[in-house]
Amino acid sequence: MDPEIIEQYLKIIYKLTEGGGQAKTSDIAAELDVAPASVTEMLHKLSAKGYVRHEPYRGVVLKSKGKKIATKVTRKHRLLERFLTDFVGVKGPTTHQQACKMEHALTDEAEQSLCRMMQHPDKCPDGREIPKCERGISCDKCTSCDVPLSEMREGETAVVSHLISRDNDELCSMLSMGFVPGSEIRIEKRIPMGGPIIIDLKGTKVALSRTRGDVLHVIRAG
Amino acid sequence: MEIALAGNPNVGKSMLFSQLTGVGVIASNYPGTTVEYSEAKAKFMGLTLTVVDLPGTYSLAGNSDEERVATRLLTERRSDSVIAVLDATRLERNLVFLFELIEAGYSVVAALNMYDLLRKSKLEVDVPKLERILMMPVIPTVATKGEGVDSLLYTSVQIRRKSGFAVRYDSHIEGMIKELERVIHSDEGDPPVRSVAIRLLMGEQSVIDRASDEAKQLSGRFRDEFRRTHGEDIVVHIQRDRFGEAGRIAGEVLGRAATYRTRKSIAKDITLRPATGIPILFGVLALMFVILVFFGGLLEGALVHFYEHTGGIFFHDLGIRAGNHLASGILDGISLSIEAMLALVIPYILVFYVMLSILEDTGYLVRVVSLLDGVMHRLGLHGRAVIPMVVGFGCNVPAILSTRTMGSRRERLILATLITIAVPCSAQTAIIIGAVGKFAGAWWALLIYVILMGMLVVLGLVLHRAIKFEPTGMCIEIPDMRWPSARQSAIKTYIRLKEFLTIAFPLLLAGSIIIETLLAYGVLQSLLRPAAPFMISVLGLPSIAAVALVFGVLRKEMALQMLMVLSGTGNLALVLSNHQMFVFALVMAIFMPCIAAFAVMVKEFGLKSTAGVAAASMALAIAMGAFANLLLKLS
Repeated sequence: MDPEIIEQYLKIIYKLTEGGGQAKTSDIAAELDVAPASVTEMLHKLSAKGYVRHEPYRGVVLKSKGKKIATKVTRKHRLLERFLTDFVGVKGPTTHQQACKMEHALTDEAEQSLCRMMQHPDKCPDGREIPKCERGISCDKCTSCDVPLSEMREGETAVVSHLISRDNDELCSMLSMGFVPGSEIRIEKRIPMGGPIIIDLKGTKVALSRTRGDVLHVIRAG
Repeated sequence: MEIALAGNPNVGKSMLFSQLTGVGVIASNYPGTTVEYSEAKAKFMGLTLTVVDLPGTYSLAGNSDEERVATRLLTERRSDSVIAVLDATRLERNLVFLFELIEAGYSVVAALNMYDLLRKSKLEVDVPKLERILMMPVIPTVATKGEGVDSLLYTSVQIRRKSGFAVRYDSHIEGMIKELERVIHSDEGDPPVRSVAIRLLMGEQSVIDRASDEAKQLSGRFRDEFRRTHGEDIVVHIQRDRFGEAGRIAGEVLGRAATYRTRKSIAKDITLRPATGIPILFGVLALMFVILVFFGGLLEGALVHFYEHTGGIFFHDLGIRAGNHLASGILDGISLSIEAMLALVIPYILVFYVMLSILEDTGYLVRVVSLLDGVMHRLGLHGRAVIPMVVGFGCNVPAILSTRTMGSRRERLILATLITIAVPCSAQTAIIIGAVGKFAGAWWALLIYVILMGMLVVLGLVLHRAIKFEPTGMCIEIPDMRWPSARQSAIKTYIRLKEFLTIAFPLLLAGSIIIETLLAYGVLQSLLRPAAPFMISVLGLPSIAAVALVFGVLRKEMALQMLMVLSGTGNLALVLSNHQMFVFALVMAIFMPCIAAFAVMVKEFGLKSTAGVAAASMALAIAMGAFANLLLKLS
């Protein structure tokens, strides 16, 4: 299956189920301007791949695997619509059509930059909500200059900007060692052979394995 | 009355503990964990004080085993007073820990330790000011020299009141705390409602479990709400506010130079650079080995001499008095087993553990862990896995137990498997050195070590591929190198030795009694007779080696003795060729160490996994033995 078509379907289902409930085959067909029969066929495929849960005659809902993709595409789509309307001056229904084509080509990085450039809009031109990004940090912290710690070189100094971790124990243990937003750090040494990064945190030396280096996002000093 | 010592790791807490207390330290593991803590009695002003040394932690939030044990000990023991040991040179981070203790409602006295280091860098803490801010006594101490220790004890005995100090969080969080406080039912204000509210907001599992449904729901809603509006987890903001407050206080009491910085840069540390660190590591291991053989040998001589005059005579007399030929045979066997354990196991394990605790105390082991972390990751292990592996060279039983610090079960199982198969314990070393090294030559012995090392790497890679998972990353503080303290090394050695004596030793003894009985009745010999042709053809070993081999499965330390007894001579070179000796020792080294290691693995990982590992180790041992035999025959 063409990933673009999958994204397209998931995006439509996202839109139709945004307010809760299930998306009906006929509504999806209307949105995409295709025959209901081909929608049904496609839904079977999506269901087999675990993107959606499809109950015949009732409708379809996104499963978490599908929802993740759908949220991302919807976010890109609506950001692009905002961009085309506010910055480029495109008017009328072509905004939507152009955004539909562009959304698949937009990289995650470009999406972040676009969001920053437009100062984090929260609604698309039609008044629908733009889903939040997955970075897990507040918008005022979202700057282009923060890098994961693992990208820092020996001898560089930096300030901790934010921590990204799904593991609460990991997050808490790093916080209690003093890796809180705002603390100054210095990369003392990167041990070769894939070894840990040794950091000077206010006079204390801490060895942090490289995988954990991605938890910590920092802003280079100077 | 009882006093608890709490503090971050590497702040000189245990040193202070030794200064406060006399002899008679009871060191134990908290039930169900490998976290160690010690307690001891102290006499002071006619009072008998119990001092509990909690495990060193950065927080009391319960995100690691150590933190959970520290928190549980604090709540269970209800110590009358808590001494917070702070590193004066790292005041900011240590104050954050102190805040947690104050918040939780303990009567705290702070020891501003390592004060001499602070003075050395021409800094001074305005102690009266710090006391005013924190509303509690603060006593500068130098634990290494015993300075300020009396005054610390005096204060903690005299003053028992809770500080009124509280960290102010940002207004949003404070608002949530106020609302939560209203729904929390407190029994006599212990622990304080505010502390419960904060811990609920931080999502601390143990507190959530005890909370009412209403408080649970409200705090859950608050956490989600905070995440939505601030885009960050509430714990990040709580900790940031604590560190902000700590930094402000540290700045106020230290004057302009708010943070003390060590001028020593770790970049120059030669133990952390592979080009120098790895040769140093090999040097240290070689030195350990020499010391082990030398001091172990001395101790062995002394213990054997001692046993022959006490236990040996006792069992001999008992055997004669029994009058029965069979009974005296069994008794003789048991006596011999006890002697073997005393002579072969305890001396080497003891010396080994002393060296291990010294390496730990100096801060060298942490550097080795950091140096090897990357390499260990490729084998599917955490850098910390180095420690159980090194422990395994002493005895595999405590090594398997110490894998508990390794995160996931899979990680632990991989590590335990590697240890049982590829890390020779002291009994296996005795065979390699005592048989191969002594009779066939040092190069043959070295070859066995090289093969084992290779197996470690190959097995690690294979297991890592087969059991797909990513080891968790490490995050540890690297303390400055320092001289070890005799007392602390002694305590650590004692804990490890106790683990060996209480878990491995009884199992070994039981196993030996069973074997001696079977031998005395001639059961074992007849059972093994069919295996003789197999031994001769596949492994190229004489049939007497079969008995010794099976013996070795149960008790490695006796395998060599058995071989000598069966061949009727102490000079093994007369019965076994160099090649045969090599094959014999190789098979023994790969085989699962002993029945005790097996039992401990069953306890830790269940019968199914353990049986699998045991079968694999035996198959691998025989395959490697057969292969070695084939190669040696061809050459």
